[in-house]
Amino acid sequence: MDAGRYIPVLILAAAVAAVQLFTLATGSEYYLTQLTMSAYYALVIIGLCTLMGYAGQISLGHAGFFAIGGYTVSVMTTYDFSGFSGSAVMGLLGTLGLASASGGELHLSPWVSLAAALVITVAVAFIIGIPILKLKGHYLAMASLGFGLIIYRIVLGTRIFGEADGISDVPGFAIAGGLRVSGSPELRIQNYYIAWTLVIIGTVMLINLVKSRAGRALRSIHGSEEAAMAMGVNASRYKLYVFVISAVFASLAGAFMAHLNGGIGPSEADVMKSVKYVAIVAAGGMANLWGALTMGVLLNYISLRGYLGSYDDAFFGAILIAIMLFAPEGLINPAVMKTAAVRARSLIDSIKKKTGRGGHAS
Amino acid sequence: MSLKKVLALTLSISVCMAAAGCKKAPEDAIKIGAIFSVTGGGSNLGAPESKTAKMLVDEINAKGGVNGKMLDLIVKDSESSPEKAISFAKQLIEEEKVFAIIGPSTSGETMKIKSICDEAKVIMLSCAAAEVIVNPVAKYVFKTPQKDSHVAMRIFDTMKKMGINSIGIISDNTGFGNAGKDQLEKIAPQKGVKIVISEVYDKKATDLSGVLTKLKARNVQAVVNWSIVPAQSIVAKNMKQINLNVPLFQSHGFGNIKYAKEAGKAGEGIIFPCGRLLVAEQLPDTNKQKTLLVKYKKDYEAKFNEDVSTFGGHAYDAITILVEGLKKAGSADREKVRTAIENLKGFPGTAGVFNFSPQDHNGLGLDSLVILTVKDGKFVPYEKLD
Repeated sequence: MDAGRYIPVLILAAAVAAVQLFTLATGSEYYLTQLTMSAYYALVIIGLCTLMGYAGQISLGHAGFFAIGGYTVSVMTTYDFSGFSGSAVMGLLGTLGLASASGGELHLSPWVSLAAALVITVAVAFIIGIPILKLKGHYLAMASLGFGLIIYRIVLGTRIFGEADGISDVPGFAIAGGLRVSGSPELRIQNYYIAWTLVIIGTVMLINLVKSRAGRALRSIHGSEEAAMAMGVNASRYKLYVFVISAVFASLAGAFMAHLNGGIGPSEADVMKSVKYVAIVAAGGMANLWGALTMGVLLNYISLRGYLGSYDDAFFGAILIAIMLFAPEGLINPAVMKTAAVRARSLIDSIKKKTGRGGHAS
Repeated sequence: MSLKKVLALTLSISVCMAAAGCKKAPEDAIKIGAIFSVTGGGSNLGAPESKTAKMLVDEINAKGGVNGKMLDLIVKDSESSPEKAISFAKQLIEEEKVFAIIGPSTSGETMKIKSICDEAKVIMLSCAAAEVIVNPVAKYVFKTPQKDSHVAMRIFDTMKKMGINSIGIISDNTGFGNAGKDQLEKIAPQKGVKIVISEVYDKKATDLSGVLTKLKARNVQAVVNWSIVPAQSIVAKNMKQINLNVPLFQSHGFGNIKYAKEAGKAGEGIIFPCGRLLVAEQLPDTNKQKTLLVKYKKDYEAKFNEDVSTFGGHAYDAITILVEGLKKAGSADREKVRTAIENLKGFPGTAGVFNFSPQDHNGLGLDSLVILTVKDGKFVPYEKLD
């Protein structure tokens, strides 16, 4: 048993607590609002990082999975099921305490909707994953982009999903005891810890995955799918599993975010969101969970606080281009930082040379 | 381990951010937060709103501010994303401790932060149209654009005068189109107009002759189109092409001369209800709104070199209403200002004359809309203006 791999996790947990205590001491707890939201986005990022960095499969459709989670819980927790009150299913849920009537309306427990969201996500990820993971490179990118577009158009064009306005007034999610996922200011600190607990659990799970036999198989697929298959790795099965796992991470983040924000809008399903996720994974270093997590929190935090003004999308586009040009292995990687500097310098030199020559010619 | 470098990077970025984030404002200024969709899907609303708000606040400050205090306007671009509107609303309320929030531009964003503002007891003056924003009434939430139901009523009243009884309606699949369709279908029976056919099309449709042919087959006496751009112009052109020669009514969303120009000759005779801003110069001098409308239009067009639109007017109204509330209250006391706004009567704005009450946080009546038509490529009043 290699306990060393968990040391960074402990550091992360300590850092999470330290940040909270720091904001408490300085009376700046409002920073936790965006740190909580960023944590949920980071959950999408680490899932996507495992898919892209370790298995080498790109997805430009992960905002779609985030939306599936968010919209499923939003619809199911706000919909009045009293029309079905006579049905056997509702009767069963009622006796299990998973449906409650109030003010003549019958509402499902958030646990039911969360379970439904995850089941739907797994089903969709399987159905989509089986055909599209047969594709490679930019064909896979295009296919996943198509999936993202379909989800975006569905939420934008369907009445029950609120079309352009999205869904509002989603209730909080009472997990257990006094714990409640909700955006109200007095629950801010516990929501910060709920979000980060999820991120830490998710990170531990993914660390175990990538350090296991399955993880080695994934990296071998990334290196060369043919070679991996020749060594007896069932490439298509591993690719599909990791795709489903990353989809579940995105969906879970979407579901919790919908409860935290009290609603969801079509912007969460936008293809630009997917591009943003890919850009962040790239910035963190493709096969680097810690890098992706750091960048996921940092860049989302910057974006959510509006530091980038109207240039938000442009910023993430620029990051993607810059990373691909100068540091395809990501920023958070010492060796890469050096090579990036070298590459940038040589590019500048070559431009200088070219313009220098141009000058002579004219 | 690259921890050192990570730390250095994080630190340098946060220092940059802090430097960018700190903007010096006068100590005792009244902070007003604004959340506009300057870019993104609602940019046709948010961009003129943001420009108008900045222009107006500069003008007010140049004249010495309100109650001797300067206004400090903080504009946040939500890019039409509700999650950003939520983040910004919390930021503005808790960190910036703003006195009030202007915006958001779209109904979806407004509904997401309605309860946040109400619970924090921060006055919000939304620039979005949906009726749910003020119905049910939230104590601290107001809105400045006209109601969809009033637009529908004005359309039907005009039809009755023209002797039109059976119509076809078409709408796009945006939130705006659907809200309009709902209101038209709800109000038609009350006004004795029969909707014989109602069709929905995609907002990006480039040809609507198929939909219009269905309407033609039902012998409708008039067509109502409720949509955003560019379908508004396409409908007019397609109707001429398939020889559907009946009056075409549009929603108040048609209120930008650009759209009439795009429709060209086919756009002649389009009838639509709208605020008085677009025909400001043609109003009689007795009109309460005329002075401010003419001034706003002139200032905006001179400063930004583009045609004024009714959307910017919604931000204009939000700020002037807030300022009036501050003046009436005499101090920057939220409770007093909120009560002052709620009891504001006969206050002229760009969208109409506002008469707020505890039950009505929109404050605009049917008379806030006039019926306009397109003649020789210009908007002219269809009926005599008052």
